[in-house]
Amino acid sequence: MTEIVMSQTPPILHGPSEKERKYDRQLRLWAASGQAALESANILLVNSGAGTVGAETLKNLVLPGIGRFAIYDEAQVEEADLGVNFFLDDSCLGKSRSQSLRDLITELNPDVQGTWYPNEGVKTLESLLADSPVFTAIIYTHPIRLDQLSQLKAYGQQHKTPLVAVHSAGFYSYFQINLPGAFPIVDTHPDETATTDLRLLTPWPELVAFAEGLTKDIGGLDNFEHGHLPYVVILLHYLEQWKAAHDGKYPTTYKEKTEFRKVVQDAARTGNPEGGEENFDEAAAAVLKTLVPPSLPSGLKEVFEYEHSDPVEQRSGFWLIADAVKQFYEKHQCLPLPGKLPDMKAQSKVYIQLQGIYKAKARKDAAEILQMVQAAPGGERVDPAEVDLFCKNAAFVKLINATGGGGSSSSSKISRADRLKSAAALEFANDETAAFTLAPLSLLPIYLALQATAHAVDKPLNADGILAVVAEQAPGAEQNERVVQAAQEVARAAGGELHNVSALTGGMVAQELIKIVTKQYIPIDNTCVYDGIVARCQVLRL
Amino acid sequence: MEPAAMHGSTGFTAPIVPVAPIAPVAPVIAPSLTRDSYNAQTLGRSLNARVKQSRVLMVGAGGIGCELLKNLVLTGFGEVHVVDLDTIDLSNLNRQFLFRQEHIRKSKALVAKEVAEKFNPAVKIVAYHANIKDSEFSIEWFSGFTIVFNALDNLEARRHVNKMCLAADVPLIESGTTGFNGQVQVIKKGVTACYDCTPKETPKTFPVCTIRSTPSQPIHCIVWGKSYLLNEIFGTSEDQSAFDHSADAENAKEIEELKRESEALRKIRQSVGSPDFHQMLFDKVFNTDIVRLRSMEDMWKTRKPPEPLDYKALLEKALDAMAAKDAVLKNDQKVWSLEENLVVLKDSLDRLSKRALATKNAANGSSQDAIITFDKDDDDTLDFVAASANIRSTIFGIDRKSKFDIKQMAGNIIPAIATTNAIVAGLCVLEAFKVLRGEYDKTKEVFLTPFAPARLLASDKCRQPNPDCPVCGVFQARAYVDLSRATLNDLVEDYLKLQLGYGEKEISVSNEVGILYDPDETDNLGKKLSELGIKPDSFLTITDEDDENPYVNVVVAIQEAKEPLEDKPIKGASTEVKIPTKPKKTPAPEANGGHGSRQQSEAIAEVVPAKRPHPEGPDDVAAAKKAKTAASSVGQDDDIVVLDDSAGGGAIIIDDD
Repeated sequence: MTEIVMSQTPPILHGPSEKERKYDRQLRLWAASGQAALESANILLVNSGAGTVGAETLKNLVLPGIGRFAIYDEAQVEEADLGVNFFLDDSCLGKSRSQSLRDLITELNPDVQGTWYPNEGVKTLESLLADSPVFTAIIYTHPIRLDQLSQLKAYGQQHKTPLVAVHSAGFYSYFQINLPGAFPIVDTHPDETATTDLRLLTPWPELVAFAEGLTKDIGGLDNFEHGHLPYVVILLHYLEQWKAAHDGKYPTTYKEKTEFRKVVQDAARTGNPEGGEENFDEAAAAVLKTLVPPSLPSGLKEVFEYEHSDPVEQRSGFWLIADAVKQFYEKHQCLPLPGKLPDMKAQSKVYIQLQGIYKAKARKDAAEILQMVQAAPGGERVDPAEVDLFCKNAAFVKLINATGGGGSSSSSKISRADRLKSAAALEFANDETAAFTLAPLSLLPIYLALQATAHAVDKPLNADGILAVVAEQAPGAEQNERVVQAAQEVARAAGGELHNVSALTGGMVAQELIKIVTKQYIPIDNTCVYDGIVARCQVLRL
Repeated sequence: MEPAAMHGSTGFTAPIVPVAPIAPVAPVIAPSLTRDSYNAQTLGRSLNARVKQSRVLMVGAGGIGCELLKNLVLTGFGEVHVVDLDTIDLSNLNRQFLFRQEHIRKSKALVAKEVAEKFNPAVKIVAYHANIKDSEFSIEWFSGFTIVFNALDNLEARRHVNKMCLAADVPLIESGTTGFNGQVQVIKKGVTACYDCTPKETPKTFPVCTIRSTPSQPIHCIVWGKSYLLNEIFGTSEDQSAFDHSADAENAKEIEELKRESEALRKIRQSVGSPDFHQMLFDKVFNTDIVRLRSMEDMWKTRKPPEPLDYKALLEKALDAMAAKDAVLKNDQKVWSLEENLVVLKDSLDRLSKRALATKNAANGSSQDAIITFDKDDDDTLDFVAASANIRSTIFGIDRKSKFDIKQMAGNIIPAIATTNAIVAGLCVLEAFKVLRGEYDKTKEVFLTPFAPARLLASDKCRQPNPDCPVCGVFQARAYVDLSRATLNDLVEDYLKLQLGYGEKEISVSNEVGILYDPDETDNLGKKLSELGIKPDSFLTITDEDDENPYVNVVVAIQEAKEPLEDKPIKGASTEVKIPTKPKKTPAPEANGGHGSRQQSEAIAEVVPAKRPHPEGPDDVAAAKKAKTAASSVGQDDDIVVLDDSAGGGAIIIDDD
């Protein structure tokens, strides 16, 4: 029977598709959901200057398979481009750089569509932005013309499109992510060991009953049963005893916890052939880590406290679920249970029962939240799978750029210019004391020097010119010795890119863009400055 | 590091003088920009010239290799040699951007050369589709390079190149990535720590009994399917490398039984292709063997005993799954039910049997068995391993896994992406600039810290060599030998005792096989070195057995004598050698401790005496540690049995190509 079916089905149909095989190594990082998000992304690169860092970033997005891209680049390919840009060769000389780049970069991945501008039909950036389907994200490289930058900014605001500015010159580079508003991430991929949540100090009735059932005659258990009590059950049992002896209070201080740990250790049987019990060792080892009262993690607190200024944003799935979780938290004083039980020494049957109790509670909590979501206006459209994901990750949900976008809290009113000034004051003050605190020196001088040349489209600025711009943006900073040095180094590069630094920067920019497009992992907030001379990075919020 | 040295033009081009001789006015480079303009401008004339004169070796043309080759070519390195023995696979194309669909199954090294050299005609690229461990790549050959770059994916090759570079005294830039994590390290003999200065974890193996009798985790059943069952039925018998035999003696009786079981299984192999084959195999491994195991009552006192399965009964229950076979086979993300696993097992058995029979027929009656080995990208073998492992898991009450997960666990797959490789390759070249200028005090060990909020990279000063390192903590010597006549006695008497100055000390001589000579083991003295398997580029370790003031271990690299030697068939270097004595044991070798806390101890060692701004302060170190945890948890999440892939611990990092 199988044999007959076999001959009708060529083996080629079996197993994962060609595409899944091609992307196998990355699917293991961001799964099919992340890949689907990438494949529906439409990315615009506005390329200028030496143009390498833009091309390298795009290459790193095309390889993992974004849906499509557009390049806007007004330059013609020159001899110097060939020495620094891998995606241009002799045959490109004198041609449109955007066309040449499009041709060679699309060769990297036939699944990706690319277009180039300006061309016969679309002659300016303005008309490209007006006529194209909405872009998922826009990358632009410095130096960029001021008028084009304002067009991009207006577009970003209007379409809620993230903008990424990238600047690479000589050994220095930075990139800055400009998100259109508060950017929540549910699937943050926390460290697996951090996600254990056993609720030992707030057990629910089913869990209590189960633990009591196994331990009511703990002294009478035979060695096998006693040596196979799951550590969760052991801890619950001795916590009850502790409470009875301590006015109904749990051990909370470090001292009490270590005392409690001693109680657990001493309860292990040592007269058995093994001379000890592994499950009791596990229980003692878990005391400090798992006996924690429920609390609200700072990331989620920020979500709960976020005030919307945009009613459209407020009705999105994420915020509807967040509101429900907040209600849930206010009602129960704890978050929905993630429901995962770590591996532990136990009889298989008992472990599976215990696992079932945790899973059932997690399902119940998620169902309650789903109900709250559905009761809210617009909640009926929310995908229950999204609710499940939120409940599983609730403790690790993260809000990026909470104050940079539509939020109405007072801090959001600070303009970007003021933020730079206060960041400069803070960073330089830190550097003053660096000799004592041994803190790394700030890379802000590099940012200031590069940023000063952000619009030097026609000819490179000299050091004095750079410092003059710095003086406008962060008055006083132009006096700083390290800013002066950075300005000299930037002037020396004269707008030239080092392929290698641009390649590295392109890797970092693409990495962060993938996080933003897939809404997985936590992207940086919001500026990353790179110093290739000492091989060091600093992330600043500017 | 002095802050002044980090900035301005002083970092790479001009001497460290505050009033650097740079014009405050930007050099006018337009309008006649050339291909080399940007490099000349930024690197400075002297470094740019050094780059052009360099002759570098890149070992590995995979994930990091493709990026690195591009960077080397565009930075203008004069001559780049590329060695890789691998061929291109579909799963490489998401990051190894020099390769396209039409290159699949071609040599990585050759295609990389062909594609990359178009982009800088001035660079000479030499490609070798070969194993770096081949004898053609001698110490002599390694000596011909300015810098060696490792862009490898396995421990063994990394160690080999490390050893060769130390022997040839060529600086090595070692790098690796896994998922979002990565690392770069500069290795220079006697100046910085070598690859083996911190012990590396070797691939995980399991005791035979865990795999064959008492599995308790999904991975045990997967190893059983891959290294035992598949090999006994379609391969070349048990894959011993997966097993740890150290506890065999304690379980002698069970081991005997297992041997008998394997023999009985091999008999079933004769029935491949017969109508009863499925049932014979199933009954044997999922019933008879299980019933026997279950009867060993001692074994199940503290474990749940396994439940044998009945083929006919299960087959009946699997009718629905059988009808939906194609859908089942395509769904590799779902955890298949027991019945679905049976369907997949039967189907994969048919596919594998057909292949085995076809090969056998092609061999035209020669009795040799066709051999099929596990390949994670060969769906027939993967389906077989996934289904048989899951059925076994069910029997032992272990969770079943999806085919997607089993592929990762069985194939030791490490996630790999373009972005991480781009970052790491960029870092490699920046470290190479410092090496070219001989500024080893400025070289850094750099870690990617993708999950540290304040930075994406963390760098640490290069570590000092570990005096106890078995690889670089030794004294290295070369002996030029006429292998046609030199005996072990010649080596001991003329070379070691006289030329190296061991005199009357008690010494032992060993190679990777074992001891060749010591005061009690003198049988080999009369044999020619060639008879003892010693060839050019063989390494011999000389241990001083004296208790008082012993010499450090000496590693002698055997070289073929260049000119005919006159009386004595062995000759050392012409300069006089002085072997140092072993350092006295001090109680706190913490800084080089092999327990994985190196960075922490480094931080202490480094930070305490420093009374000046530290550009790579404690934060970076903490971040690097975090990266390490993140990296190792990659493994834990999915129960992958991988080599320790921690990015931080200086351990091997694997890019799977």
